[in-house]
Amino acid sequence: MNERTPAVPAGPGRRMLAVALLAAAGACSEALPTVERDDLVRSGFATEVILEYDEFASGARVYGGYGRPSDLGAGFVAHDYGSRAGGGEGAQEGLEASSLLRFGRYPRSAQVLDTTGANVPDSMLTFLFGRLVLRFDSLSSVHNDEPVEIVAHALTEPWDGATAGWQYAIDSVGHRELWSVPGGGAVEEIGAAVWDPETGDSIRIRVDSAWIAAWADTTDNRRGVRVGTTTPGVRLRVTAALLRLETRPSVNPDTIVQVPSSTENRTFIYAPVPRPPLKTLRVGGVPAWRTVMDLDVPTVLDRPDELCEVVGCPVGITADHVSFAALRFTTRPGVRSFAPSDTLSLDLRSVLAPDFLPKSPLGPSLSGPFGTLVPPEWFQPPAAEVVEIPVTGLVRDLLRGETVDGDPVSGTIAVLSAFEPLSVEYMSFDGPTSPAAPTLRLVLNFSLDGGT
Amino acid sequence: MSGPRRRGATASPDRARLAAALLVALAAAAPASAQSFLGFRALGVPVRALDARAAAAGNLGIGLAGVEISSADPAASARLLFPTFSVTMQPSWGSFDLDDQSGTSRTTRLPLLGIGYPVRSVGGVVTASLSGHLEQRWVAKRRSTVVLNEVEVDVEDSYRNDGGTSVLRVGWAQRIGSRLSLGASAGTYLGRLERVFDRELDSLAVGGEVYSFREQHAWNYSGYLVSAGFNADPHPLIHLAGAATWSGALRELPLDDAPGEGRYSVPVRLSAGTTARLSPRLALSLSGAYQDWAASDGFLAGVTSGRKWSYGAGAEWHVIDSESRSLPIRFGYRRLAPPFRFESEDPLESIWSLGAGLNLVETEDNRRLGWVDLAFERGSRRSAPLDERFLRATVTVGISRF
Repeated sequence: MNERTPAVPAGPGRRMLAVALLAAAGACSEALPTVERDDLVRSGFATEVILEYDEFASGARVYGGYGRPSDLGAGFVAHDYGSRAGGGEGAQEGLEASSLLRFGRYPRSAQVLDTTGANVPDSMLTFLFGRLVLRFDSLSSVHNDEPVEIVAHALTEPWDGATAGWQYAIDSVGHRELWSVPGGGAVEEIGAAVWDPETGDSIRIRVDSAWIAAWADTTDNRRGVRVGTTTPGVRLRVTAALLRLETRPSVNPDTIVQVPSSTENRTFIYAPVPRPPLKTLRVGGVPAWRTVMDLDVPTVLDRPDELCEVVGCPVGITADHVSFAALRFTTRPGVRSFAPSDTLSLDLRSVLAPDFLPKSPLGPSLSGPFGTLVPPEWFQPPAAEVVEIPVTGLVRDLLRGETVDGDPVSGTIAVLSAFEPLSVEYMSFDGPTSPAAPTLRLVLNFSLDGGT
Repeated sequence: MSGPRRRGATASPDRARLAAALLVALAAAAPASAQSFLGFRALGVPVRALDARAAAAGNLGIGLAGVEISSADPAASARLLFPTFSVTMQPSWGSFDLDDQSGTSRTTRLPLLGIGYPVRSVGGVVTASLSGHLEQRWVAKRRSTVVLNEVEVDVEDSYRNDGGTSVLRVGWAQRIGSRLSLGASAGTYLGRLERVFDRELDSLAVGGEVYSFREQHAWNYSGYLVSAGFNADPHPLIHLAGAATWSGALRELPLDDAPGEGRYSVPVRLSAGTTARLSPRLALSLSGAYQDWAASDGFLAGVTSGRKWSYGAGAEWHVIDSESRSLPIRFGYRRLAPPFRFESEDPLESIWSLGAGLNLVETEDNRRLGWVDLAFERGSRRSAPLDERFLRATVTVGISRF
């Protein structure tokens, strides 16, 4: 054997090795062979379990008072809406509602055409009279397809645009003042108009110059307009209320121009105020109601039979087994005065500090940006429709004991309106003592030991 | 102190550390991927841990003259002059037919890493290698329906198997005179298998966002094996080699909450090969191996194959053969017996191969000190109703005195 030492420089060897290693590291693309064939796949089993209220929840209760009518950004007018004649428990008082408006400072100047046709600013405006323009939501309003008389009254008593209600003109902390007459106190009629839903969605009511002059004093907290209706059995949603001022400019006195006035306060007052529910669950309304309950999802199941036959009971449930979970509520007709007349949306959030309820902060929405939509028909007698709110992520977190990010998870949840407050209408659901109490629907998956 | 002798006879501590680091760094990449449905109820298909020279020449990894490092031949490295390292890379493209379905696959693997470290004072070589052994890498799907809430819901199941075993060996190859070498090695099985079961339900039918169900389990492999063998050159034109490998049980140990523990007996593997030099430039090689899996324990009934013999043959012709460099071309054929069936038919794997080498530096007696080998293989595996085909390229780079 020849053991001479060849003149092999070490450098090229290392370079070859480096090139080989780089090539090896770079060639890593891979595609596994894939086939559709039953006997190569482990067996799986999917089943659906409906847990009764007592099996997964407790402490269902309703909290109210979230938000104010002035937060809504819209108004309502109603007269004897939803009343039911007769004595005893069947009698229901009709809803009375009026919108209250307070207009702000009038414009001090406006761009107008002068006598030469030039567009010039004019700060010497003369306000002649006004027009109250009201626009209604023809879809969510309940008007029985009949013309509705709308009446505007001037308020004459001091009132607070943020806190005024049917009974109180001012209802802030430490300061309460009753209306002299519930529903806006002493008022003076401004004018009236008939809204025919078949001809449009808005009306105008003329406001004479005396009221326009009186409302120019923005320090007067009595100024304001109450918009109501005299037509019984209607509940209208007012989407816009504007005051347009008919104005004579100084640069062109022969013409009249319209300038808008700002709206300082817009709210609504109503009666009767719904009482807290005793046995039912409630979501929505203004101020809003929320339903809160404590979840305790079981980690061991011993039913249904089909699960036990295949997997064997008792069977442990982990977060991985839960492919879908949804809370199910059964709708109730509720009080007619506040029955939904338009689609509402439900949201579900974790209550982050249950000890501080009803003022606990809530977690992010678990129902997506638009919530779970619920059509109004589901609350018309006999109702009993099932509303399903997906809570898969929450249930998996509860079974895991923490979120996927490792944060603590709260077992207390609040069901509320997706936008709060959204409407004077609220949703009613069967409570925990009802045969149609809330349930939890689970879709569970398991893998089964097979031959592969 | 003689500089040249010192450089040639022993390696510095730096080189030893480099060699060790290379082996460790590539260990993670070494597990190969056979990508076959064969043996889906057992341990998969064997990874043929061959370098490009043996692959091109239709050899089973034993009996090829002038081999530097072999995982199957513990005595092959006995005549190394210098510390030597080789790495083999193997991209492959596969296709299959199964019943009325067909599909493709592709992967790149590192089936063999090896190192030899001469200890001249005793005339032997320390060897170490990391080689592929068995692999199972495939995905199967199933579509079905379940009735939930009185609605028929589409379900898609997916089952992914990804893993296999490798063997880490350390051995000693000893020269006995100028014509005989003996070698022995001891190794341990390494590896991991992951099985992922995914189940997806049609979210539209269920009624909301549906989370897929995933169950993931993993197992580690362990066990040991020992090999012994010889290389002999009874005549200047004849090279002989033989080896036997005894293996303890291959154990499949569940990790975390994975179910079941597997314990599989691996039968003795006997292999032998020879190379006959027909002319200064032309050599023929034959090799064969015997391994009887039929009586192995731990497998489901009817899974192991009754075939016991694998063999291969090929030729190597030096097209260019200069004083210090040469360019051989090779071709060959192998007929292999994979140990596990797909269903009831004993599987058979046949491979035609072609390749070339570039021996960059050679000694006067044709010992290579730096080389690049390339092989192309076209093969098929069949175990009805499974029919698989593959095209495989193998590149081996080896250097001495690194």
